[in-house]
Amino acid sequence: MNHEARINRLASLVIAGTVLLGPTAGAAQNLAIRNATIQTITNGVIENGTIVIRDGKIAAIGRNVRVPDGVQVIDGAGMYVMPGLIDAHSHMAIDGGINEGSESVTPEVRIQPNPTDPTIYRALAGGVTAANLLHGSANTIGGQSAVIKMRWGASLDSIYFEGAQRIVKFALGENVTRANANQSDADRRYPKSRMGVEQLLRWWFTKAKEYEASWKAYETERKRNPNGLPPREDLRLQALVDIMNGKIKVHAHSYRADEILMLMRVAEDFGFRINTFQHVLEGYKVADELAKHGAYASTFAEMWGYKVEANDGIPYNMALMSEHGVVVSVNSDSGERVRRLYQEAAMGMKYGDMSEIEALRMVTLNPAIQLGVDDQVGSLEVGKDADIAIFNGHPFAPASRVEKTIIDGRIMFDRASAMTLDKLIRGVVTTTTEDAS
Amino acid sequence: MRRASTRVGLALATAIFVAGAPAAVHAQAGNGEAGPFLIRGATVVTVSGPRLPNTDVLIRDGRIAEIGSNLSATVGVKEIDATGMFLYPGMMDAFTDIGLADIGSVQTMNLTSELGDFNPNDRAIVAINVESQMIPITRSNGVTHVVTAPSGGIMPGQAAVINLEGWTWEDMAVSPSVAFVINYPNTGGRGGRGGFGGFGGRGGGADRAAAQIGELKEVLRAAKAYDAVRAGNAGEFNLKLESMRPLVRGETLALVSANSEEQIRGAIMLADSFGLKVVVLGGDEAWKVRNELASRNIPVVLGSIESTPAEDAPYDAIYAQPGVLRRAGVKIAFSTGNASSSRHVPYHAALAVAYDLDPDDALRALTLWPAEIFGLGDQLGSIDVGKRANLFLVDGDPLDVRTHMLEVFIDGKRIPHDDRHFLLYEKWKGRPTVHR
Repeated sequence: MNHEARINRLASLVIAGTVLLGPTAGAAQNLAIRNATIQTITNGVIENGTIVIRDGKIAAIGRNVRVPDGVQVIDGAGMYVMPGLIDAHSHMAIDGGINEGSESVTPEVRIQPNPTDPTIYRALAGGVTAANLLHGSANTIGGQSAVIKMRWGASLDSIYFEGAQRIVKFALGENVTRANANQSDADRRYPKSRMGVEQLLRWWFTKAKEYEASWKAYETERKRNPNGLPPREDLRLQALVDIMNGKIKVHAHSYRADEILMLMRVAEDFGFRINTFQHVLEGYKVADELAKHGAYASTFAEMWGYKVEANDGIPYNMALMSEHGVVVSVNSDSGERVRRLYQEAAMGMKYGDMSEIEALRMVTLNPAIQLGVDDQVGSLEVGKDADIAIFNGHPFAPASRVEKTIIDGRIMFDRASAMTLDKLIRGVVTTTTEDAS
Repeated sequence: MRRASTRVGLALATAIFVAGAPAAVHAQAGNGEAGPFLIRGATVVTVSGPRLPNTDVLIRDGRIAEIGSNLSATVGVKEIDATGMFLYPGMMDAFTDIGLADIGSVQTMNLTSELGDFNPNDRAIVAINVESQMIPITRSNGVTHVVTAPSGGIMPGQAAVINLEGWTWEDMAVSPSVAFVINYPNTGGRGGRGGFGGFGGRGGGADRAAAQIGELKEVLRAAKAYDAVRAGNAGEFNLKLESMRPLVRGETLALVSANSEEQIRGAIMLADSFGLKVVVLGGDEAWKVRNELASRNIPVVLGSIESTPAEDAPYDAIYAQPGVLRRAGVKIAFSTGNASSSRHVPYHAALAVAYDLDPDDALRALTLWPAEIFGLGDQLGSIDVGKRANLFLVDGDPLDVRTHMLEVFIDGKRIPHDDRHFLLYEKWKGRPTVHR
């Protein structure tokens, strides 16, 4: 069975479950959640609280909120309601490969999401409502990412997160230097060292400065001479100019402290800021420098040791960077971890004694800040998007799971109507074992 | 562990008093501190029986010597005040490659597999690197012993149960040849995620896998014949077939990696037709054959819960399966399959609890059941007098990520908090503020 047929089969499985077992998922409607423990992230926890959702936004939230008539009500008794989780580093649902591996600097290429990828559905089942789909790390500058909401099955146009900032992926260290690593030096792609990575960046941004200057000169010249010849348009150099001018924010794949420091200094020399260091496993060694530069950090909770540059990755990294004032998120970088990002965030409390609210921010408000969408999501506040995860208990408790996930006021995942292993075994859904195997 | 932490942990940090001795005791650098220890006043979670509130446990000569109230400390016994803490039997990762594997990308640090498909004579135990960073990192979270195994091919060799403490691999060995690993060839049936080598299937295709199954049967038949001939003091010595004699006699376990329904049925066939004492490893689709497994008492060492199910399986198939198998009467154990993940095996169990595995069963599947599955139920897995003193003290539920590890004991020795991650943390949190 080919990939597409398998996806269709999965889709029919889930949809069949929905039709047979529950209210229509995904319908746009006004909603209310009552009697729940509500973790707002920004304004404390509301016990026995109510959230009213109108036209996809949070219309009211509090302990004594009236639920308008005719609104679908979700009973939140025993439930823990929090903002939908946000994954600042993902490669899910990407069509056509994630590396433009031909050259090492390709900021002009862009990610195209695939809204029907089943990974999106599984991320929803883990309470995740938005993700940053990044290029891979084969290139020093890999291309522009796509920030999406988990509107599984939506059209390509409507899966993008409107209002998210433009993001470009940079990468440092082992991955960018090992292209054609088995070839003779004559056949290898430059650079093959961390030293070369710095020089390549400086060369390209110098070229971009010249390019920008040539356009400025042309614009000035044009006032005197309307028939003057414009410079040759260059998508790559224009993207680099946009990076320097802050129109495109840099998310940089990084591991070692030396390369993290190097990139901050290069950016400072060219007048821009690194928005977010990704992975940043040795961020704890340069936490002060990260804070002073104003860089954010998006890291793994506990992934380490899979390569040499990841061998000093420690689970205390989140807490140490956070103590120094760095805005820290914990990301998945995987279709597996995205299903249990909340469990990953809890590691911050175990290793280094992060507070609970700090740990929760690592999968809500902090990644929203890193993607430039904190005015829309990341906390439960009146006027923000109704992107909500409903757990059957505290998300850090071992027995907790996601029951419902809501995006823009639409229930996008509902365990009550989802196909589960238990329902399949009990035969609640008329799907044969063969079909579900 | 947070024992050495001087911050929030202070209130819970354990204090040691030595009966009849004036000075505080410091852990020996680099290895466990010898006892005897009297752990006072903990809630003792025995696993084999009820929880015992405010109970003392004496550990001496590597064993649990006494369990009771107000035990008296004889001269030389080091007392640990564990009031308000919980004492558990050490956890076991039932399949990993600790000691054999280290930094993933460095080939020479991962010599886990031998040339060729059949190496039943290879033994993991002789290649355990006692200085591997994975050992302290893993035990710091209360995982005190593991099954560590070779990989690759159809019969990669013999797995070992090791304690995560000791000066040599002989010190560490609990059961040096505990099971023969068999990677059951995958003829390409859907469903499996391939884990643990995912042998066969793609590339060579179904024909190649079918041929490999034929080879496996042939080797097992040869080993049976060899065993019979050698039992009669006849025939010629053969290194590989000689090693397989306890396997084909059903004396030593066959740990059969099998994820798809078809592979698991193959594993059952090895039990039925060849008399092997089979444990299924991986078992993604074990729920489809749960009744056959239960009726034969074939246990399942679950593959990493931190994985995704087949594309068209229910989204919670991997998380919910442990509960399904348990309710069908299949004995289960958790495993990570990976040295750098082993310390977090309790959180694999937590995911299964979230999807309806009974929490007490989850704890058993981290302690007593893996011990029993690997034939060590009399030595490990619960807090009972006479068992090995592999224990840990915590401030909460070990399945809860937020819980802190306070003390770890292996073979009665108090383990220093000296893992590389903690040492890096201690070093870098002391870095002076930058004034650049």
